[in-house]
Amino acid sequence: MYKIILAIRYLVKRRITYFAVAAVALCVFIVVVVMTVLTGLVSDFKQKNHSFVGDCVVGTESLVGFAYYEDFIKILGKEDFIEGVSPVIKSYALISRKGSEQNYGVEIMGIDPVKHSQTTGFSQTLHYHENDVSNVFKPVKDPNCMGCVLGIDLALERDEQGRYTYGFSPAEADIALAITCFPLTAKGALAKAGGLGLVNTKTFCYSDTSQSGLARVDSSIIYLPFEQAQLLCGMAEPGKRINAIHIKFKKGVNLNAGCERVTSLWQQFKQKRADELLNTVTVQSWKSNRRAYIAAMEKEQAMMTALFGLVGITTVFIILVVFYMIISHKSKDIGILKSIGVSNANVIQLFLGFAFLVGLLGSVIGSVGGWRFLVHINQIENWLFNHFGFQLWDRSIYAIGDIPNQVELSVLIVIIFSAIVACLAGALIPTWQAAKLKPVEILQVSQL
Amino acid sequence: MLKLFLWLRYLRKRKIVYLSIAAVALSVSLLIVVVSLFTSFIHAFEQSAVDTVGDVVLSAPVKFEKYEHFIERLEQIGKVQAATAILSAEGLLHLGKGNVRAVEILGIEAAKRAKVTGYKQFLLKQKLLPDDPTFEVPNLTDSIGGFVGIAVITEPDEKTDEYDFQSIEKMLGQQVVLTTGAVIEDKDTPAQGRFKRKTLRFTIADIVFTGVYDLDKRFVYLPIEHLQRILYPNEDEKLANQIQIKLSPDTDTEAALTQIRGAWQVFAAEELKWTPNLIRYTDIQTAQQMQSKYVAALLKQMGVLLLVFGVVSFSVIVLIFCIFYMIVRLKQRDIAVLKSCGAASSSVAFIFVGFGICVGLVGSGTGVILGYIFTKNINTIEQWITTILGLKLWKSSVYMFSKIPNEVNWNSALPIVLSATLAAAIGALIPAIVAAMTRPVEILRYE
Repeated sequence: MYKIILAIRYLVKRRITYFAVAAVALCVFIVVVVMTVLTGLVSDFKQKNHSFVGDCVVGTESLVGFAYYEDFIKILGKEDFIEGVSPVIKSYALISRKGSEQNYGVEIMGIDPVKHSQTTGFSQTLHYHENDVSNVFKPVKDPNCMGCVLGIDLALERDEQGRYTYGFSPAEADIALAITCFPLTAKGALAKAGGLGLVNTKTFCYSDTSQSGLARVDSSIIYLPFEQAQLLCGMAEPGKRINAIHIKFKKGVNLNAGCERVTSLWQQFKQKRADELLNTVTVQSWKSNRRAYIAAMEKEQAMMTALFGLVGITTVFIILVVFYMIISHKSKDIGILKSIGVSNANVIQLFLGFAFLVGLLGSVIGSVGGWRFLVHINQIENWLFNHFGFQLWDRSIYAIGDIPNQVELSVLIVIIFSAIVACLAGALIPTWQAAKLKPVEILQVSQL
Repeated sequence: MLKLFLWLRYLRKRKIVYLSIAAVALSVSLLIVVVSLFTSFIHAFEQSAVDTVGDVVLSAPVKFEKYEHFIERLEQIGKVQAATAILSAEGLLHLGKGNVRAVEILGIEAAKRAKVTGYKQFLLKQKLLPDDPTFEVPNLTDSIGGFVGIAVITEPDEKTDEYDFQSIEKMLGQQVVLTTGAVIEDKDTPAQGRFKRKTLRFTIADIVFTGVYDLDKRFVYLPIEHLQRILYPNEDEKLANQIQIKLSPDTDTEAALTQIRGAWQVFAAEELKWTPNLIRYTDIQTAQQMQSKYVAALLKQMGVLLLVFGVVSFSVIVLIFCIFYMIVRLKQRDIAVLKSCGAASSSVAFIFVGFGICVGLVGSGTGVILGYIFTKNINTIEQWITTILGLKLWKSSVYMFSKIPNEVNWNSALPIVLSATLAAAIGALIPAIVAAMTRPVEILRYE
């Protein structure tokens, strides 16, 4: 009991302790704000990537693709853990707008919009056909023209606040795009493509935009009807080919377990077919498939955490000094305590308990401050933008909407735990010295 | 002398002071590293633009002819050292089995462009040759030669971020197929024109490795006259849609831009017969101006990061306050003796403020050295992390450059050092006042 009383007494009476509490609170405040924003950005980015590819991808990097996909899709369709399957064509193409001299290199994705929406979040990325995905490739202006969906950054500009200016709708605009591909044979060579020699060209009409929220995707991908893309890429010949099968698992299916079952099904399927192209195919979870993009953000988050860890060392120093001072001033208390039989371990417990209180109080103050700041962070940014033109991120460059401000409990617990551990680490040396004090030396008349 | 003696004594005897020095050093080094890495990245980014496009770029809204006349006019301006024409288009490149890439095609004058930009140093094969770069392929005089960006051919290794130069060099002399297209005036409907796809085969004469991933992955270079022949076979006049310009050394950029704009207006009106409206849509900018939006965003990020670390570093003031307060409390007798010998309160206060400044200076000095060592060796440190943890932190595909730009920003180091010293002095101020207010009669009483 005396340990609690003394710890609280030191906390209240020794004003120097307030500095330690303030330093911990400041550190926790900054770390809560920065980590919440970073964690929010990373988890939002992951969620968008997940939504873009579905749960699992059976695919190849090679633009030649692989055959027999219809048979494998049938096998997948019989499995009870699979909710949706979408075959996809991926390639590069050149696009040019009718009447324009400009040519652009883009990526094309040939999809069946209904199947792809059952498998991924495709329908939610559409502006005009979110609830009518089956008609996404039917332009309102000219139903006879084959439609295409443009990555939003290929079609529209962003203003300073990150909003797109939907100046013209597909119902009003008559935008035709000539899309050209290299058709490839199953051996990867250039296929003869009729009139134009080595390339296939077909005209598509703008029918919608897709905003996945992923900058690279939205600025480089055009979605085409599956069959048309297959024809353009020379994959519609007998022994039809595709580049990937996107798969969505039913709710409650564990991602790794689901991917393992698909891998096993693919291995069995592959063994029955003697085709070299099938050897280039891999089965990946969405995390592995998008690893190159996600890993970069996760590394940045890890580096920021390491930097804050370094800066936090100063807080450990402050705790050390404050405790050193308190123990220097309270040596008589310690002498008296020890003279009435308090053990070294109890002295250590007393001061570590005190350090715990300092850490806890500082963390609570910092967390509450950080939480309140985060609640208003978007309002603060808006105010700064309206009055001083300042934005944390230039929304016309970065595909970021509101600043993430949802404090994650797990992150908060880790921060508070780290702050308390830092306080205990800072208090360790002074506490050890306090425990070693000898009452006979401290309580000498000459020392009083 | 007495003050110096006391400072040295406190520094020697009160080991806890080293904590404040360490804290100042840590904060200073962190801030210097952050500023240096950001600014050297920005500098490398801007320099890569200069190396790629020259000092000034003139981009016309449509292709134009007689560019040689305009270049002659430009070179008569004393502020312009050299200029070269560019014809650009986008295309698809088929490199081999199942290997197709979307690329940007630059039609260039190989030798002349070397005088405007630093691109010769980036050619794997020709960089060490004394002659100007050429598209000629040895033993294949009939073939069209072209340069290809290194990342167009292959991606760097996933783990090491290094290119496999042996396999890349095997591509030299290989034939590849490129498709592109342009609007060609239609004889039946000359006002509308129609888009025509074109394909050509060319031989890889050299490989461009700038170290800037985005450039290495995007560009294919062809002789301008060949590209024109493919894109606009019916045009007899030489065509370009961009002029890249190198300015003379120590030229005032703004004055040069004004003269170039003036020369363009006269040329476009007199020789091209362009309308004022079309002339107005011609973009004439320095390489830095072209990157300014992205650079501004980077500078803003740096500012926010410095603010965050600056606020956290504020706790250094608290630390110094605590340490100095403790020293003042423990050294009350020294202070009382000094004052009883006639030392003024201001002198006593200055002992501690001066000591704070010393701590700030020593800590900052150490921080500068640490920051310098860390920044300069950042690539080695990154390699160690890769070797030990198997974690590749820096990838050119993510951060543009093959190496981390690592120039120390000395201009920013000075304000950081001054701020740290000021912070140390502020931290020492209240303890110094407490020391100055010490009354010897109370401290030195016998009881």
